[in-house]
Amino acid sequence: MNSDIIIKLENVHVSFWQNNVGVYSLKDLITQRKSPFKSKTIINDISFEVKRGESLGIVGRNGSGKSTLLRTIAGIIKPKAGIVTVNGTFAPILAIGAGLEQELTGYENITLLLSLYGIPRKNTNAVANIREFSELSDEALRMPVKQYSSGMVARLAFSISLANDSDILIIDEVLAVGDQGFQIKCVEKIRQIKNQGKTILFVSHFPDGVRDICDNAILLEQGEITHRGLAADICEQYKMLF
Amino acid sequence: MQNITRIYALSKRNIILRYKNSLIGFFWGFFKPLLYLLIFIVIFKHNSGIPNYILFVTSGLILWFFFSNVTGQSVGSIVGSVGLLKSLNIPSYFFPLSETIGELFNLLLTLLIFFIIMFWFGMDYNIRLLLIFPCILLFAVFALGLNLFLSSVNVFFRDISIIWNTIQPALFFMTPIGYAESSIDPKYKFFINCNPIYYFIKLGRSILYDPVAPSLQQWGNCLIICIGMYAIGHFVFSRLKNQFISAI
Ligand SMILES: Nc1ncnc2c1ncn2[C@@H]1O[C@H](COP(=O)(O)OP(=O)(O)OP(=O)(O)O)[C@@H](O)[C@H]1O
Ligand SMILES: [Mg+2]
Repeated sequence: MNSDIIIKLENVHVSFWQNNVGVYSLKDLITQRKSPFKSKTIINDISFEVKRGESLGIVGRNGSGKSTLLRTIAGIIKPKAGIVTVNGTFAPILAIGAGLEQELTGYENITLLLSLYGIPRKNTNAVANIREFSELSDEALRMPVKQYSSGMVARLAFSISLANDSDILIIDEVLAVGDQGFQIKCVEKIRQIKNQGKTILFVSHFPDGVRDICDNAILLEQGEITHRGLAADICEQYKMLF
Repeated sequence: MQNITRIYALSKRNIILRYKNSLIGFFWGFFKPLLYLLIFIVIFKHNSGIPNYILFVTSGLILWFFFSNVTGQSVGSIVGSVGLLKSLNIPSYFFPLSETIGELFNLLLTLLIFFIIMFWFGMDYNIRLLLIFPCILLFAVFALGLNLFLSSVNVFFRDISIIWNTIQPALFFMTPIGYAESSIDPKYKFFINCNPIYYFIKLGRSILYDPVAPSLQQWGNCLIICIGMYAIGHFVFSRLKNQFISAI
């Protein structure tokens, strides 16, 4: 593989088992006598390459498979067919705080995720950076995350995903719930990361954000790439969907 | 090495979560066995004919509650970790594994206190007691195998956790913990022999209570059951793991 290329997908297919209508328990399985799962294709024959330092936007309707595609690239979902090759490290995908543990406090979540992501716990610098970037008070960080507002959750999640110095930054809708100040700050930070030569995969429903941050983009429809090209052009295509 | 740090972090999370909202934290773990001990004393002690009844029951209860807690916690461990599973690329077996380790930690603390308290109840302090550690290891691997099975099937059929919670008390009474094995009608002895937990409790009790060391045959039985259960659990889990994300 060319060393310029950091992510490469070749004919990737992902399918999920979906519950057949109404079969959720063993009782249903026995009484309804039908197979409990059927396979549904979510990502259909996708191939593309991302160069080191490139930022790629991924747009598409709700349910078109953007988050699934990101998870497949990150190795969280195994493709049913095709090859995913990645030459770098990832930050956790904390789409609107999904990876945060509701019962744990902000600090406990930070420690947990940092150690799950292989950053030594002694690295107090990382914790300080997270606290600083999220602008959450010490008091807030001592509260269980279940008591946070959705914007606070997004702040914490995004700050944690910035904490590890990975080659590839994956951003899935994180900006949607932050307040204006935080959004501006995030975009600023993302640009800065981009200027450091990092690779960015950016999923968003705001065409302006995509145009701003990304060089290239792809448009997904029902798990297939229907358009690819310069971010500005793809954003026009995306707007024409509605 | 990185994996060890991760498993450690998850085990710690489990311990924190378990005692988060309870005032007496760790000590809560003692009340359940204590309550059962009292019930057993009231019902069985006077005509059980078992010498040193308290030591007899307690040694069985400690191991039983380890088993019951660890399976009860682990059955939902995959379903309960949706968020982490969807955002990080970590092997999903870490979740049942870290539940098992967290509970093992609990068992070791319990055992320590047990060794101290049993001084007043006629425990024979003897180098042989150290055999309890290999015994616990076998039991824990057995439990891990079962946990792999339960937690992965529970992703697809949520009633597994309900079914398991229903079976547990039956298993408990099918295990000679509060009564002597000899008090069972030989006609029904077969059912006890089919109960895998019985072999581990018996092994543990031979070490903690009986005056003679467990036989090689006892160790052999436990080893076979332990390997068998782990193999089943591992097989089922690896068959299902790629579809966890889609089902939770
Ligand atoms: N756990 C699941 N089990 C089965 N199907 C799923 C599951 N999660 C998502 N899907 C299906 O996969 C498809 C793509 O979902 P995905 O979350 O990737 O969409 P998305 O493009 O990120 O949407 P959004 O813009 O709403 O975030 C959808 O049709 C959805 O129904
Ligand atoms: Mg999505």
